[in-house]
Amino acid sequence: MTARARHPWRNWRWLMMAASVTGTSVLAGCAGGGSGAGAAPAPAGTASLVTSMTTANGATWAIVAMGGSAAGANQFWELFARAAASDRWELVTPPGVASNGGLVAAGGPASLSVAFRPSQGLTFSPLAVTSDAGKTWRTGLIDAPVASDPDALAAGAGAMLALLGDGTVEQGGTAGASWTRLAAPGAIASSAAGRQCNVTSLTAVAFAPSGTPLAAASCARPGITGIFARSGTAWQAVGPVLAARQVTVLRLTAIAAGDLALLQARAGSGATLLAAWTSDGTRWTVSAPLAVGTGQVAASGTGSGGAAWVLLADGRAYEVSGPGSAWRRLPSPPSGTAALAAGPGDAYEALAVASGKLTVYRLSPAGAWGKLQTLSVPIQYGSSS
Amino acid sequence: MPGMNSGLNPADPTLVAAFRSALLHQGLIATALFLLLWLLWGASRNWLRPGAAVHAPRAAEPAGRRVLRIGFGLLWVFDGILQAQPQMPGGLPSQVIEPTAQSSPRWVQDLVNAGGTIWSNHPITAAAASVWIQVGIGLWLLVAVRGWWSRGAGLASVAWGLMVWIWGESFGGIFAPGLSWLTGAPGAVLLYCVAGALIALPARAWLTARTGRLLLAGAGLFFIGMAVLQAWPGRGYWQGRSGSLSAMVASMAQTSQPRALSSLVAAFGSFDTAHGFAVNLFVVIALAAIGAALLTGRPRLVRVAVLAAGVLCLADWVLVQDFGFFGGLGTDPNSMIPTILLLAAGYLALTRLPDAAAEPEAAAQAEAEAVTPAPGGRWRELLRPEGARAALTATSMQTVTALAALGVIVIGAAPMAAASLSPTADPILAQAIAGYSPPLDSPASPFRLTDQDGRMVTLASLRGKVVLLTFLDPVCTTDCPLIAQEFKATAAMLGAQAKQTELVAIVANPTYYSTQFTQAFDRQEGLSAVPDWLYLTGTLTQLRSAWQQYGVTVENLPAGAMSAHNDLAFVIDRAGVIRQEIDADPGPGTTSTRSSFAVLFAADVRQALSQS
Repeated sequence: MTARARHPWRNWRWLMMAASVTGTSVLAGCAGGGSGAGAAPAPAGTASLVTSMTTANGATWAIVAMGGSAAGANQFWELFARAAASDRWELVTPPGVASNGGLVAAGGPASLSVAFRPSQGLTFSPLAVTSDAGKTWRTGLIDAPVASDPDALAAGAGAMLALLGDGTVEQGGTAGASWTRLAAPGAIASSAAGRQCNVTSLTAVAFAPSGTPLAAASCARPGITGIFARSGTAWQAVGPVLAARQVTVLRLTAIAAGDLALLQARAGSGATLLAAWTSDGTRWTVSAPLAVGTGQVAASGTGSGGAAWVLLADGRAYEVSGPGSAWRRLPSPPSGTAALAAGPGDAYEALAVASGKLTVYRLSPAGAWGKLQTLSVPIQYGSSS
Repeated sequence: MPGMNSGLNPADPTLVAAFRSALLHQGLIATALFLLLWLLWGASRNWLRPGAAVHAPRAAEPAGRRVLRIGFGLLWVFDGILQAQPQMPGGLPSQVIEPTAQSSPRWVQDLVNAGGTIWSNHPITAAAASVWIQVGIGLWLLVAVRGWWSRGAGLASVAWGLMVWIWGESFGGIFAPGLSWLTGAPGAVLLYCVAGALIALPARAWLTARTGRLLLAGAGLFFIGMAVLQAWPGRGYWQGRSGSLSAMVASMAQTSQPRALSSLVAAFGSFDTAHGFAVNLFVVIALAAIGAALLTGRPRLVRVAVLAAGVLCLADWVLVQDFGFFGGLGTDPNSMIPTILLLAAGYLALTRLPDAAAEPEAAAQAEAEAVTPAPGGRWRELLRPEGARAALTATSMQTVTALAALGVIVIGAAPMAAASLSPTADPILAQAIAGYSPPLDSPASPFRLTDQDGRMVTLASLRGKVVLLTFLDPVCTTDCPLIAQEFKATAAMLGAQAKQTELVAIVANPTYYSTQFTQAFDRQEGLSAVPDWLYLTGTLTQLRSAWQQYGVTVENLPAGAMSAHNDLAFVIDRAGVIRQEIDADPGPGTTSTRSSFAVLFAADVRQALSQS
């Protein structure tokens, strides 16, 4: 018996070894690359639901997230109110619906409307409307999820607008009754004005002083500000022109003297913020740009007289007092500040959140934040899980 | 991974008690089967002619095959015993299968999820099946020494091993990052499959050194491949601190186990943290050297390699794999013992050939005689008394015991096969969540409310039908949508009996209670198309009255919490008498528990229909 006969596989040994090494290398290549995947790009031009506003009756409202982890359904969105002549904030979150998905509020002439963003098993947006500073609430609903934008709801005289999660724009009566579709998903983007702007997403709805429905968007085409007015069954571009910049309308909200838009313009790697005011829905007064670099807007809101504020993720805070004024940096707010709010006079207040505690600070004329009030919020941990 | 996990606490006393009960019942049947077959075999000896039950002399089993058969037989029995851990029914998907699958690609997850869903739907049946199938295969391997019976045990080992490897081990994690021989690649059960395939080889395959040589060459290639994988940069094995191996060892040291063992594992973890590069270098060189030596096929070198591999395997088994079954829900002793058995079998098959090898014709004859009965050839003869008598004559005690072991497998596999055909979950999950609902016999309180279409409905108007009643918040985000889906599934399960049933919910929210919300809820849950579904509401006074009469507490909670209410369901018979009050809290609300509740509701409704 020859050696070859005893070991018929011998000639194949080195070939098999090479195959093994090659195969394993492929396996290592496949199995070892778990951490190499690139992160998905962050969605462009979305504003946080954290906000504050001052309504026509002088009441100030603020929406902040409190509690624990959102993943564990222990983060609850809370609505606080401070009456016109009061120094005290109160918890006025509308009862009866879990607020884990977020709250979107719109101030009307004599009321505040709040839409619940649905969470977990809920797929539509219950509405709550108050005309007595949050003491009592009327109910309504939008039979679809309202968009996750702070101005996805607008309240006008006898009418409401809602921007839905799929890009639909609807109009209804007060307290969310009789909703009718103004724009189907993609309808504004495919309109002549929308194509000119190259709409990437809708970001807000509002009423013009005339009562005309407005919709705002993020535009991919530089120089176009995506603000559209409903005209008959069409949508017309009515936004200001900002040369050579990609513009996202972060906020579009009604104020006492018209509408206020907060614009984020991108040029190169940096971004600037601009406030724009209109009293007729077509002509705009635009502020000087505020360079924020790569800073993300963590919260934004409005005050009386066309004032607006932004809080950046890195802790910087700015305010602009009204049409024609310039951005002003505010002293660094206290740790944990989630939102600012316009206080009495020209004072600003900082609302700092720590789990179930809200601490309110007021900015003194000397530029120092002083503690004004502490509220313990009875977060119902575990109630949504 | 939807469906994979029932979401129940593995230590749930209802599940544990049901599992114990199932094991006890099936164990008694298995014992009875053994006794019956042994009794029949003993009795048949009297029927045979005296002295007829003399077996022809048989060739000795090759040493390598014997190592595999006994070694893996014991391993299967041991694994079966591990499967009998009380928390296995509820814990295997969440603590074993899901964590293993999570790092694998999507298609692996989807495949594993399908199997895990069957387990989650039928946890008691599946867990008991795993016990009996593995114990049965182990016993079968141990008692069936030769012939078709023994080869069949090898094939059974391959078949079940592949199922476990795919659905239990997610292909041994070979498609997941971090694959390493140290941590068990390519999956312990794949080695069981290799052993089973070797046992299933014809007897003549063991009469020459070729089988041993091929086995060792395959092992050599595997070791070299694992060395390359271990040496591959960027996989975390060259670094000590925060490295893949030290992290795994640290997590193993945290599991519950004897303190001395955890100290040993922790000490190695510390050593690896400090000397990660050196440890990995040693492992790479050792694996490559062992692999190269095995590939040579030279007995002297192979012996050294097998011994070295044995030492390395034992060290890894203790220091890295932590014996494989300590802590959590260990289902096997991991890959090192099977590796040692395979290498030992390969070495023996290479160096210790059976005596019969010198006389292959005699060996083949011995094998032919051991066939009991030969497949496909003598069945016709068995029908004749002489043939049957001859077959019985050739049947040994070992063959009968092997038959009983096969019966043990069937005891586990048959209910599992039947259960896997059912698309619904077992009611045990709902019973574990809801607890026991004693039968009731009390008149249901009347109500007068408005349905989702604005029509007036009273309890009296529903007389003649069995009413399944619950209380739902139309803007609830958690339990109520789940209960609604359970009701919807109940209607589907009831089939034609649904016409004799009314599924009724009463609004349980003191703020959002108008028909605007009941209609929105129906659209949300797809209930508008369910016949005999009523979602009732009314004035707040009417609702409060209904809540009070049925013991439902409803209140608005502050600070953005949803309205709180207790989840109850009532089965009201055709005469308006409450027959069951069920805690309808849907628990984790997984696919399995929803299905289970629907099965439970449907059964209660059917019972009420049959009573009245």
